[in-house]
Amino acid sequence: MLTKLGNLATSRKLENAIFFSIVLFVFKIIFPVIESTVFLFVNELLVTGAVFFWTLYVIDFVHSKITAPLSIVLNAGILNALIFFIISVSSAIFNDVADIGSKTDFVYTIFSTLLSFVFVASLTYIFSAFRELFYLRQKRDPQKYFNTMVLFVFLASISNSLMFINSDLDFLKNTFYVVAIVMISINSLRVSWIAFMIKKQKLYLLIISVVLSALFGINFALTLNDTLVTDIIINFSPALHTFLNLTMIYGTIYFAIIFFTALFHLPTAEAFDRKAEELSSLIDLSKLVTQVFDFNELAETIVSTTNKVCNSDSSWLVTKKGNSYEISSVNNIGYVIADKLTTAILDENSDMNELVTLNQRSIKVKVKNDLHTVNFNALAIAPLKVHDKINGYLFAGRKQNMKFDVDDLKAVGAFADYAAVALENAKLLEESLEKERLERELEVAREIQSKILPSRTPVVKNLEISALFVPAFEVGGDYYDFFRLSDDKLGFVIADVSGKGIQAAFIMAEVKGIFESLSLLIESPKELLSKANEILKNSLEKKSFVTAIYGVIDVKEGRLSFARCGHNPLYISRDGKMTPYTPNGIGLGLDFGSKFSDNLKEMEIKLNNDDIIILYTDGIPESKNTDMDDFGYERFERVILENKNKTLDEISTEIMQRVSVFSEQKAQHDDITLVIFKWNFNNNLTGEC
Amino acid sequence: MADFNVQVRGVGHVSIVDLKGYLDAHTAPELESTFNKLIEASNYKVVVNFDELAYISSAGLGVFMAYVETMRENNGDIKFANMKDNVYSIFDLLGFPMLYEFFKDEVEAIEKFNNQD
Repeated sequence: MLTKLGNLATSRKLENAIFFSIVLFVFKIIFPVIESTVFLFVNELLVTGAVFFWTLYVIDFVHSKITAPLSIVLNAGILNALIFFIISVSSAIFNDVADIGSKTDFVYTIFSTLLSFVFVASLTYIFSAFRELFYLRQKRDPQKYFNTMVLFVFLASISNSLMFINSDLDFLKNTFYVVAIVMISINSLRVSWIAFMIKKQKLYLLIISVVLSALFGINFALTLNDTLVTDIIINFSPALHTFLNLTMIYGTIYFAIIFFTALFHLPTAEAFDRKAEELSSLIDLSKLVTQVFDFNELAETIVSTTNKVCNSDSSWLVTKKGNSYEISSVNNIGYVIADKLTTAILDENSDMNELVTLNQRSIKVKVKNDLHTVNFNALAIAPLKVHDKINGYLFAGRKQNMKFDVDDLKAVGAFADYAAVALENAKLLEESLEKERLERELEVAREIQSKILPSRTPVVKNLEISALFVPAFEVGGDYYDFFRLSDDKLGFVIADVSGKGIQAAFIMAEVKGIFESLSLLIESPKELLSKANEILKNSLEKKSFVTAIYGVIDVKEGRLSFARCGHNPLYISRDGKMTPYTPNGIGLGLDFGSKFSDNLKEMEIKLNNDDIIILYTDGIPESKNTDMDDFGYERFERVILENKNKTLDEISTEIMQRVSVFSEQKAQHDDITLVIFKWNFNNNLTGEC
Repeated sequence: MADFNVQVRGVGHVSIVDLKGYLDAHTAPELESTFNKLIEASNYKVVVNFDELAYISSAGLGVFMAYVETMRENNGDIKFANMKDNVYSIFDLLGFPMLYEFFKDEVEAIEKFNNQD
């Protein structure tokens, strides 16, 4: 029931509280003095309701300030002081109750009722404050202790009212009263939240609590005396008087206990503060580890926190770069000194797998002709370990004559672990960025390649043409193209740029431009290729080259003329035989002197009907199987001969199939390009030229 | 991945570079650094022994092209020796024999260098 009421919406609690208060107020105006049992009963019911709902409402308000327990204490203290003020001032002004005339006087009634309401408000806040402090930082649910106490406080209060009906019930009131005080004393012991205060707060609390304990005690004594205010409260509600009484006792006991607890906690406060700082730095660091992508930035934080938490004078972090170590960040020590010290220590202790402590270490360092001696009395060195691999070390050094204790060393170890994780993260991130960049590059290279290659084969009289291009995962630099030179002449090129990826793709684009323009100017394949070599001189890197075959087919005369620059042999299939043609020629870009053109031979072949001309890149003969055997030329020749009567497209498909069956599991390593021509003087099926 | 290994021996004034395994785009940088070291040490007379080389890609060929000029400018050269037929055919197709000297055995290549001096 109580929990249910506690779960009411805040606005409902307020409504109920106001309702009870108004009814109580009206009731009090009409019946200023209680004369019969029934009235007393109604009176106490209304008071209980008002107090109860006000408390429920105030608890919500107090709970919102739970993160600052000191301000709750202070607020309760101020209200307590208000009570003290009201009681003492009223006692000082009105010595006797008789001074203010009859209790039924209207002005007196209004005044006393309002005063009582002020008490109700103060008491509910103070009581709520006690409740919140009671629940603060409790690991187990202590609800039943508090509720029992509340119950007895309530019973003690109500039984005080009953005494007005029958004074024989005195023993009942006393029993409840004593039990309530016992419960209050027990509950007052729950003050573990004090431990979590920092030293300054504990000191502050120490002073406040002694003042408040005394103030509550004085108020308690005042409420027992027969003063005007006591009289008003008892007249207002005897139960409220007991509640006031007990709350004052609670405050006296509770703050006394807080005083002693804070006092006893003071000596350990510093150690506790340090632990708390260590914990919060670790939490901050673990957040940073996942958020900061720049390792050096994090390294700065790690060394500065190490110094702060471990009480060290200097701290620095080194990371492994290849086989040597490099200083990543320093705190309160120069780079040069840290570097020298690190080198000296690592030379002596090559295998520091665990946390190591060293005593007495001096190092002499010359900075700008001044000789500095840096002296550390204690050094702690923790390895940055991930998967049993050491990626660096965290150093902490103390100049004062005090060794590192167990907690310091634990902290150094913990910080080193964080650094290790962060370092690993940074590395992984870099790798994934690099991978992303490479993938993006690949994409660009593929796009360039797909734009460079002709989208369709030209339609030429007497000539059947088929072209097939199968890109490798990484762009291989294959290029082929056709140039319509005249009605009867078709120029063609097949080329392979050395290297892979975006670099190969760019050279390919350039090669395309060169062939496109030269094919219109120069008819002789040899001259054209010599010119192309000259042009490429300016743009090709020393280690890059291009193999190519450029040729011209005269479809009317049935004549093929071509030259080869380092490219794989051109094949002609004729009369059931495959003939490779390998006229001399050095790859483009291998030599920019006269040797290139001196060694370049042009070849002219008279074509017969149904001759098949096959051009390809090394992707086909160099296709490998899992044993690293090449597909080779023999297999290549055989496939073509076996399928020579099929259409060119079918032959292409057949070759590709054989290559992929051969290399089965092995990923295609290089681009594969295949360009096939079939000349037939009488074959006009392919349409107009 | 396929293994690759480079080792350098000195025979008189001539440096012998022994290649082993697969020389491709991934392993070429290793050979490049070998050549850089030779140049740093002013060893311009180089014989490359291909005896144990199983495969060479275009990127591998590029390494020789990149360094031969420097060697020749300094009165040295890169000469090839002990090449297997399958590897030689790759060089041959590209026209390397017109630009580089090939020898059946490294001894002949060393002799050629020595005769020059």
